Amino acid sequence: MRRTSEGRSRGRAAGKPVRRGVVALAAVVPLLLTGVAACGSGSGDSGDVTINFVWWGNDGRANLTKKAVELFQQKNPKIKVQTSFSAYQAYWEKLATQTAGGKPPDVLNVDSRYLAEYGGRNVLADLNQGAGKTISLADINPELAATGVYQGKRYAIPWAQNTPAMIYDPAAFTAAGADPAKGMTWDQFAEATQKVSAASGFSARGATDFGIFDTTLEIWLRQQGKQFYTPEGKLGFTADDLRRYWQLAGKFRDAKGASPADVTASYNTSPEQSPLGKKLTSSEFAYDNLLPAYKKANGKDLNVAPYPTAANGDTGQYRRPAMFLSVSARSQQQEAAAKLVDFLINDPEVGKIVGTDRGLAPNLKVRAQLASAATGNDKTLYDFEAALEPKLGAAPPVLPKGAGAIQKLLQRTYEEVAFGRMSIDDAVNRFMSEAQKGLS
Amino acid sequence: MTTVRTPDPPAAPPRPAGSARRRDRPAGRRRKTQPEAFAFLTPWLLGAVALTVGPMVVSLYLSFTDYDMFTSPQWIGFGNFTHMFTDDDRYLQSVKVTLIYVLISVPLKLTVSLLVAMLLNTRRGGGGFYRAAFYAPSLLGASVAAALVWRALFMGGGPVNEILASVGWHTPSWVDDPQFSLASIILLTVWQFGAPMVIFLAGLKQIPAELHEAAAIDGAGAFRRFRHITLPMLSPVIFFNLVMEAIHAFQSFTPAFVIGGGRGGPADADLFYTLYLFEVGFQDFRMGYASAMAWVLLAVIAIVTAIVFRTAKLWVFYDDANDTGGRK
Repeated sequence: MRRTSEGRSRGRAAGKPVRRGVVALAAVVPLLLTGVAACGSGSGDSGDVTINFVWWGNDGRANLTKKAVELFQQKNPKIKVQTSFSAYQAYWEKLATQTAGGKPPDVLNVDSRYLAEYGGRNVLADLNQGAGKTISLADINPELAATGVYQGKRYAIPWAQNTPAMIYDPAAFTAAGADPAKGMTWDQFAEATQKVSAASGFSARGATDFGIFDTTLEIWLRQQGKQFYTPEGKLGFTADDLRRYWQLAGKFRDAKGASPADVTASYNTSPEQSPLGKKLTSSEFAYDNLLPAYKKANGKDLNVAPYPTAANGDTGQYRRPAMFLSVSARSQQQEAAAKLVDFLINDPEVGKIVGTDRGLAPNLKVRAQLASAATGNDKTLYDFEAALEPKLGAAPPVLPKGAGAIQKLLQRTYEEVAFGRMSIDDAVNRFMSEAQKGLS
Repeated sequence: MTTVRTPDPPAAPPRPAGSARRRDRPAGRRRKTQPEAFAFLTPWLLGAVALTVGPMVVSLYLSFTDYDMFTSPQWIGFGNFTHMFTDDDRYLQSVKVTLIYVLISVPLKLTVSLLVAMLLNTRRGGGGFYRAAFYAPSLLGASVAAALVWRALFMGGGPVNEILASVGWHTPSWVDDPQFSLASIILLTVWQFGAPMVIFLAGLKQIPAELHEAAAIDGAGAFRRFRHITLPMLSPVIFFNLVMEAIHAFQSFTPAFVIGGGRGGPADADLFYTLYLFEVGFQDFRMGYASAMAWVLLAVIAIVTAIVFRTAKLWVFYDDANDTGGRK
């Protein structure tokens, strides 16, 4: 509908140069035609609405999501959904540009690192108000549902639940006499990675160096009762904490249990291009729902394990909102958008279609149904989180604005250490000062 | 020979020898405004105003604001510009990386393209094939595909590692090591020497063979002929290539973006100016700061180009005497 009226006004505006002469007309007509053609696809019968829906991920995820959207359109013939997707980093660049251009998509996929960034700038609709109230949260774990609330407004609904975990090659670790699935201490983990590295003649390493991972730092802090960010959005740890964390990572690296600096530096967020995916290491800290993607990239029968623990046995893991669904505050089709969000989160059929690709279904009833029928990777994940469930803590408060940049800062400064270009103390100082600037 | 210059060498862009006079003559007669001309220009004018001039004016305004893409911009005067030079280590790092890149890659690329052009200029048969073959890499230009291939060549365990290891030099992954990463990008740039090479080749063909023959009869060797005939006669072309390549080098983005994994490479070793600008604007939502950075870059490129033009008097030789000598 919106597109039709736009097309008309564009047509009127373009009419003016026509008077100036035939040549100008010739120049303008093609422009006009493309404008008309672009509008044509959007307008349908009266009562029909079109909404845009975007997410990040790979082709496999896109196929599953499109099937779910197809089902939604069958059940809601008056609503047309136009979909598009990109890889994680490109997704944010595109979304920022679209939002700045005043045309954000109606329904969008949001990450906890960017929730405050978009919510805090009034880009996302408060789903406690208006059409958002039609989204049912009755069957979602209240602690998980609360992770989408920022400064009292419900900017997002968790689309799936996952938890930070270790993906590893059981054969390599069993040969080294370790069983990560049963849980182990950081010391035991260090020893095991060394043995795994030695078994391959150090051509492949026991673990991907975790000094660059913000999530691993967060889990490690939580194991000691600390937090990455305070509820006020400041750093929740001290320079000394970070120094000890990087010293721990350094212990792995120096003993050749963890990946060398150039392999660590090649890490990027997709499992296909990570050291474990490229068979350069035998374990990597990631999220449990990424197990199938890692398996596919690595080729071996990988498994998922809880984090190594400190002496007190606390894993520090938590029910993490794997990602969120949000509705744009500027959407003209709030009702249709809210309907799609509700459908994707609560419909049992959708749960069956998308499986555990993004993590466990947020709706507990749907999750219970799926868990009982699960096989293969799905079953591994359901069993893993079911066993972990009593130990899982509540998720930390919404990450502050600038959290996306902090993740990159951690990676960059740790690389200086890993390549031996900077002492740990200097790198810690740089991290703390830049992080405090970025969060203020 | 090098001391021979036109009586009054104008500090003007390089031009084909001899064409200047013809171009100057009818200038007075063209004063009359032609409405038809504007009619034909309309599409271009519309495009230029809507797509270039308009956004540039907006970006100049934004460079004095704290625009974050979502909320309306607030005027902060010169805040962005002072922040750049006083409180942003990464900005200074990006300046350093870009300067190193420009200072190394531009002379290297010009040297290689000139050498290859001279090689092709001496060939008798099959010149067309080799010209095309050497030009092909620069057709790929700043393409993502070429950079991806480069990344695959220079990554850990890639062909470059293997070849160097076979002669006993064990190197880490070039693209992922801060010591080698920028070097691999410079190599990619130098490899794409086709465009300046073709221009050099055209320039070489313009040099009259008599000059070389006369010098050879006088006993000048190949190096002397290169030093005292080829270089001065080619200097306008060198000048043109230098200006173009320097501007391109300052604006280089794609190779660093792809090879550096979209984040400035390991420990910011590939943090090109444009890459940091992109990151600040489109990933960190600081579009006002990014706009300010873009204007500083524009100013720097303008200054560098102006300096090159000023020094051109000292070393660029326009061979007007040769072409118009008969008429003088």
